[in-house]
Amino acid sequence: MALFSKKKKKRVVVIGIDGVPYTFIRKHIDSGDFPNFKALLEKGDFRRMNSVMPCISSVAWSSYMTGCNPAKHNIYGFIDRKPNPFDMFIPTSVNMKAPTLWQILSENKLRVVVINVPVTYPPKEVNGVLIADFLATDLRKAVYPQSVFDKLDSIGYRIDVDAWAGRKDKDKFLEDINYTIDKRIETAYWLFESQKWDFFQLHIMSTDRINHFLWEEYEADDPKYAPQFLAFYKKIDSFLGEMEKKVSENSEFIVLSDHGFCSIKKEVFTNYWLEKEGYLKFSKEKRSGLKDMSPETKVYSLIPGRFFVNLKGREQFGSVEPGAEYEKVRDELIEKLPTMTDPETGNKIIRRVYKREEIYSGPHFEQAADIIADPQNGYDLKANLNQDQLALKGSLEGMHTYDDASLYIRSRQIIGDSLWIADLMPTILHLLGVNIPEHVDGKVAV
Amino acid sequence: MGKGFTVWFTGLSGSGKTAISKFVEKEILKQGREVEVLDGDVVRTHISKGLGFSKEDRDAHISRLGWLASRFSHYGVPVITAAISPYKDIRNNCRQMITSAGGIMVEVYCECDLDTLIKRDVKGLYKKAIAGEIKNFTGVSDPYEAPDNPEVVCDTAKETVEESAQKVIDKLYELGCLKKEGETEEPYSEAEKKEIDKRLEALGYL
Repeated sequence: MALFSKKKKKRVVVIGIDGVPYTFIRKHIDSGDFPNFKALLEKGDFRRMNSVMPCISSVAWSSYMTGCNPAKHNIYGFIDRKPNPFDMFIPTSVNMKAPTLWQILSENKLRVVVINVPVTYPPKEVNGVLIADFLATDLRKAVYPQSVFDKLDSIGYRIDVDAWAGRKDKDKFLEDINYTIDKRIETAYWLFESQKWDFFQLHIMSTDRINHFLWEEYEADDPKYAPQFLAFYKKIDSFLGEMEKKVSENSEFIVLSDHGFCSIKKEVFTNYWLEKEGYLKFSKEKRSGLKDMSPETKVYSLIPGRFFVNLKGREQFGSVEPGAEYEKVRDELIEKLPTMTDPETGNKIIRRVYKREEIYSGPHFEQAADIIADPQNGYDLKANLNQDQLALKGSLEGMHTYDDASLYIRSRQIIGDSLWIADLMPTILHLLGVNIPEHVDGKVAV
Repeated sequence: MGKGFTVWFTGLSGSGKTAISKFVEKEILKQGREVEVLDGDVVRTHISKGLGFSKEDRDAHISRLGWLASRFSHYGVPVITAAISPYKDIRNNCRQMITSAGGIMVEVYCECDLDTLIKRDVKGLYKKAIAGEIKNFTGVSDPYEAPDNPEVVCDTAKETVEESAQKVIDKLYELGCLKKEGETEEPYSEAEKKEIDKRLEALGYL
């Protein structure tokens, strides 16, 4: 009898649409632009979701894949610093300190296919296939196992679009982004059909890229670029519809984004502000980087809104004593940062300032910035040096928002009052019947 | 590939530079990395051939050592130099060359008082120098300028060679020149890092 009553094994498919706001999807479902997404809503639940602080893709997807806050997975940004000797580095999978969803599934003998998820480069061994993210420069080094490289090469797979084109030549950028998504979808279908898998994830980065470089044209209903922007999203909508049909009924189909988006009013240079306020000093007239800061520095910052106290005993040339002086500097920042205003409009730039212990806890807490500033929508916090003004309108058009990420789960009701991206990892383990490790911060959301 | 670094031993003749460097070399090799040892006496038989022991010649010799070390650093290859290198200014110039090439300079001062060295006199050189048979002999008839801020000081009159070597090795781990077990190497070559920096800059992350 067992032969006839045996159910088909449950599997999970996840499509990551990087940086697509919940409110944006809702709006275009209502206006009829996304008929496939509309059809999905009839079968499942769609909710607004919080990201993580700071809400950038490397941090958010690290929380997604580990179910943890950054102090447990150790990824705090696309750029980070070693305090002593002082050095800057790009966090990659090498720095990831918590086990990932696909590592746990692999250990449980489940097969995985993972395509292009941020912070998966260099690729680690999995029970299946992993194609790493845009932090890879060479596709040959971005794939596990090596045997998939030839096929990807023959497809013409691209790791990422050329973001410089987004700044300089929007027509070229659109051509690139459409080519890249077509090849990514082709790759996804090939792996979906040719591999054995229990967990399948495709990450679409191009949505974030188009938002960064064409969000203003979209909002302004630009006659040339707004239709192309929407055409790109309609392509994504069609793909979601097609993909969903391929996922059998007893399996789960999940779509999520890692943060929201809004247009940029100004880029704001936090190190310029620190210099003006006397916290950051340089020993050289020309600064090639933070490594040129003087030992008198009390605070320096990294993108976006991460403020580090130049603490004695921790930083190479620390100047602030641990204890009372450290707290005094942090308290001053908490008082002063919210008074920062847009010189043109007088609008407040900072929404809220956190001490690191308010939002992070875990074994890699010490790597965290001492103060984290959350900006008002429209003020994109940057840490560039050699700026001659606090804020300006640059060529980037869109910036990330914390509370407008999105989550769709087919055939399940999403539960929980404070849904955030770290809830996904335990939710997926639960759906696949795998034990959830105790250290995980997220909660099962179905 | 890891970052290039140069372990620059300095100190009087017989102060233990070569002996300590052999232990350090072994530790670097244990990590599966290549290492180039530039022994002052050996280099004098090649690219410094013909140079004597006047200040000018010594500076030229050390400068060549420094330049060679900087080239290895540029390509991420660890270097050990073991030469008296008595003058502060030229050692500082070498530091500048190495760091500009992307390497880390780890200056190790092998400190030992003259009495101990004379007693030790493994090669019999001090005896000859004191007798006037060798001219311009550092510490006897030529000056030695100790470094102001070396990364490591080995008190070789008191420490065993193993103890001194351990101090150097500990410093290499502390500075990230060597990786502890479980730590992985930098995932990017210099060229790849430049490409990723460019990509992140376009996206506004740098």
